[in-house]
Amino acid sequence: MSDSVVDIRGIVKRYGDFTAVDGLSFTVPAGSIYGLLGPNGAGKSTTIRMMMRIMLPDEGTIRILGSELARVDLDRIGYLPEERGLYKKMKVGKVLTFFGEIKGLERREAQRRAHAWLERLGLLDRAEKPVEDLSKGMQQKVQFISTMLHEPELLILDEPFSGLDPVNASVIKDVILEYHRKGHTIVFCTHMMDQVEKLCDYICLINRGRVVLSGTLQAVKKEYGHNGVALRVVGDGSFLRELPEVVSLQDNGNELFLRLRDGVDPYRVLEAARARIPVTRFELAEPSIHDIFIERVSEPS
Amino acid sequence: MKVGHIIRREYTENVRRKSFIISTLLVPILMLVFFVVPVLFALLEPDKSYCVVVLDQTGKLGDGVAAALSDTLTDGGRKYLVTAAPSAGDAYAPARAARVEELRGGKLDIVIALPASIFADGKASYITREERNMNVLERFEDVITDVVIQNRLAAEGLEYERVKTLTAGIDLDMQQVTAQGGLEEKSFLSDYGIVFVFTMILYSSLLSWGMTISKSIIEEKGSRVIEVLLSAVSTRDLMWGKLIGVGLAGLTQLGAWAVMGLAFAGYAASGMVGALASFQIAPAVFVYLIAFFVLGFMLFSSLFMTVGSVCSTDQDAQQLQGLITLPMIIPILCLMLLLQNPNSPLAVVLSLIPLFAPMIMLARIILLQPPLWQILLSMALILVSVFLSISFAARIFRVGILMYGKRPSLREMIRWYKLAG
Repeated sequence: MSDSVVDIRGIVKRYGDFTAVDGLSFTVPAGSIYGLLGPNGAGKSTTIRMMMRIMLPDEGTIRILGSELARVDLDRIGYLPEERGLYKKMKVGKVLTFFGEIKGLERREAQRRAHAWLERLGLLDRAEKPVEDLSKGMQQKVQFISTMLHEPELLILDEPFSGLDPVNASVIKDVILEYHRKGHTIVFCTHMMDQVEKLCDYICLINRGRVVLSGTLQAVKKEYGHNGVALRVVGDGSFLRELPEVVSLQDNGNELFLRLRDGVDPYRVLEAARARIPVTRFELAEPSIHDIFIERVSEPS
Repeated sequence: MKVGHIIRREYTENVRRKSFIISTLLVPILMLVFFVVPVLFALLEPDKSYCVVVLDQTGKLGDGVAAALSDTLTDGGRKYLVTAAPSAGDAYAPARAARVEELRGGKLDIVIALPASIFADGKASYITREERNMNVLERFEDVITDVVIQNRLAAEGLEYERVKTLTAGIDLDMQQVTAQGGLEEKSFLSDYGIVFVFTMILYSSLLSWGMTISKSIIEEKGSRVIEVLLSAVSTRDLMWGKLIGVGLAGLTQLGAWAVMGLAFAGYAASGMVGALASFQIAPAVFVYLIAFFVLGFMLFSSLFMTVGSVCSTDQDAQQLQGLITLPMIIPILCLMLLLQNPNSPLAVVLSLIPLFAPMIMLARIILLQPPLWQILLSMALILVSVFLSISFAARIFRVGILMYGKRPSLREMIRWYKLAG
């Protein structure tokens, strides 16, 4: 067993003239929570579909759980697609049993686990109801259970939090973290950056089918976090953009985030600001993943 | 085996559906209502008597007609209480008007008006209030015709009984050799009914189960369940699971109908109700029905499956579904042709073309046992095309199932077919 659960090398996927994935490579270390980030249309879902063997790459190789994609036992993987769907007319308990069975569980075992999960997520009283009678959030939880039922070693979640209210999102987040603590690997796709910062050990930012940056969360932040300050000022602080020490200014509404040149003393910027307007807050800050994301994605290629 | 779970889900979800249970029970009832009830009604005479006046301008017919109408009711009483009323010359018209008034007033049920011209032009009137009983009308027609002929013959000096004997018609009973070497009585009317029922049942089963498959795939694409399924099973397992699961559901329904049909055929053959005696259906016909359903289902459903896999919405699919339905309708349209001569070269050719064969061959088997080699050849040809259509469906299915948006053109589908090979 190698240390990487997913090893992707130079995969390419074209739809006609459009290249959705363009020579993508990354590895997911065992036991990590790996965030696959990128704007809409970056090629995240296509990459994940290729990992699930739903589509085949035109070029490149994918190894998962130590074996070639063609020989991967899909039962060891759990997959939550981006767009959710269950059999609407089927009863909740039956749907879960069915999904458990096609993932290799015995009928009895699938029923037992479905029951336990429904109980844990407070859906036990809905087990005999058809899926279509459930609210959207409940259906999402049911689908989430269906991906976990067979206790996969690798869990691939495409936008697991979209459409969930904060309460349900935190329930799902707890489940993911618990799963992580058991030593399983989780890959998830998202463009909700606050989730990334809370959950991920590793990130991989994709844009236009290519890897823009990847590594541990700390390493990525460190690479970017050379020099930054967060300022809260009274009045218009846009003049700060013109200072020679400042590389970029991002106006976050209540707060301004400034990226400074390497080696620049942040306090000189504070002085410059205070010379013109009152400053109510000053903080040395590393950039958020959100900022990095915006900056790298909006760069001209 | 993962395909087993797909089969089980498809089967149980289809069989448990309300529409399945309703149609399984309702179709035999409708068949009974449409085919058997009219036969019974036509044969069941209302047991009542009629007050009849025969108004006779000729003066020669009234008594003869009255004497001939000696029908009795079940209690032994006379069915027609006939009064002959001769009314020669000018008295005829006012007498007729008076009788019609009586009829209107309810004193009479039927007025028969026989004008003097009847010998020349053969025209007379049957006047009634509301009674629209064809059997009664026909009975009067027969009797009056008979009496008029007697009179005409007498006028020529010929003896009625002798002429009747000499001109007696010939009655051909139709018999058919069976495979066992015996002979079997046949009648056109019941054959037509049985052929119609069987081909319609086969047609509607093939169509509705084909549409079920097509719809379920579109639904799975729409709800994106398909991605979850494909992350667990291969497209091959999914396709076969659907074909077998839905096919078994169809077979269950058809089997239930066959059992009910056999029970009915047994009841009809027992002769307890004479009117049903003509509805004789050989048990082998039910076996053929099921065999052609299985073959036809594999053929058409793999095509319906292809349609489902390349379309994203039901509206999208309608046009292509229509294209498949067309070859299914042609045999129904050919049914009349087939009834006239089930062994014509055209009928033989049609029953060997795989797309038409299930319905046409079944109809031919019911009408007139075709040579065994023709039956086997037609089945073999269907089987060959089943393999072709399933391998075609499998390739298109693999590509189409994940395609959303615009429906591909036929040319694109052919490209997919080549790509998937």
